[in-house]
Amino acid sequence: MTIDIKFIGKEYPGYTYDVSKEKIKEYAKAIKNLDPHYVDEEFAKKSKYGTIVAPPTFAVVFGAFLIEPVFMDKELNLNMAMLVHGEQEMDFYEVVKAGDSITTMAKISDIKHKEKLDIISLEVTSKNQHGRDVCRGVYTFVVRK
Amino acid sequence: MPITKGQTFQDSEVVDKYRTLYYAGASGDFHPVHIDPEFGKMVGLGGAILHGLCTMAFATRSVTNLIGDPGKLKKLKCRFSAPVMIEDTITMQGTVADIKDGLGYIDLKVTTQTGAEVLQKVVAVVEE
Repeated sequence: MTIDIKFIGKEYPGYTYDVSKEKIKEYAKAIKNLDPHYVDEEFAKKSKYGTIVAPPTFAVVFGAFLIEPVFMDKELNLNMAMLVHGEQEMDFYEVVKAGDSITTMAKISDIKHKEKLDIISLEVTSKNQHGRDVCRGVYTFVVRK
Repeated sequence: MPITKGQTFQDSEVVDKYRTLYYAGASGDFHPVHIDPEFGKMVGLGGAILHGLCTMAFATRSVTNLIGDPGKLKKLKCRFSAPVMIEDTITMQGTVADIKDGLGYIDLKVTTQTGAEVLQKVVAVVEE
């Protein structure tokens, strides 16, 4: 089933995610990246950030809270069995630290139709508790027909 | 760490049997194509596939290890061009292609043991 282009521009309710150092450590272990900035509290205290920071791609952890409602959107009705991640873009601004409170917004930025697949892109933007940008992501998913 | 134009680096990762489960737990992405080999076969993928974002995280590691400061990574972009399966070996081969106006532009080739490029059109930009 084809995804209707009328959904381009549809926005989803924001979500505020509290970043904990334990979640950062769990994520760092899952991606096999034990950089001391992420997992070593003594090192982190002496670093220029003064505390544990999140790996750049940790942005997908709080981003996921905006992706899931899109996947579950009954009106949009994506065929999840045939959906795969096609492309990912991420721009990084201020570093995410343990203890930050990150608010993320998302909207459907593009829908394209090709012969054998549909392509849907979501623009996801996140700010910290100071109102400063931390990440802008574009998630592009491919739905095979 | 300062980077220089033409500098090369390499990193690799063997996808262990349970990696997709660890990644699902940490990221919240429990899509069955990642955690259920039978489901992966049913939808024509040949088994459970690794999350593209996990491959991207491995690729990111190769870059942040080079620069020594995760806060200096400014941009990442890639296309997930082929699936990564359990027990594949992912190899990242990078080159600092250019340094201009305080920014380093990294070329990154990400392949599996078959030579398949699993990430394409990779863009990685770092602060010098």
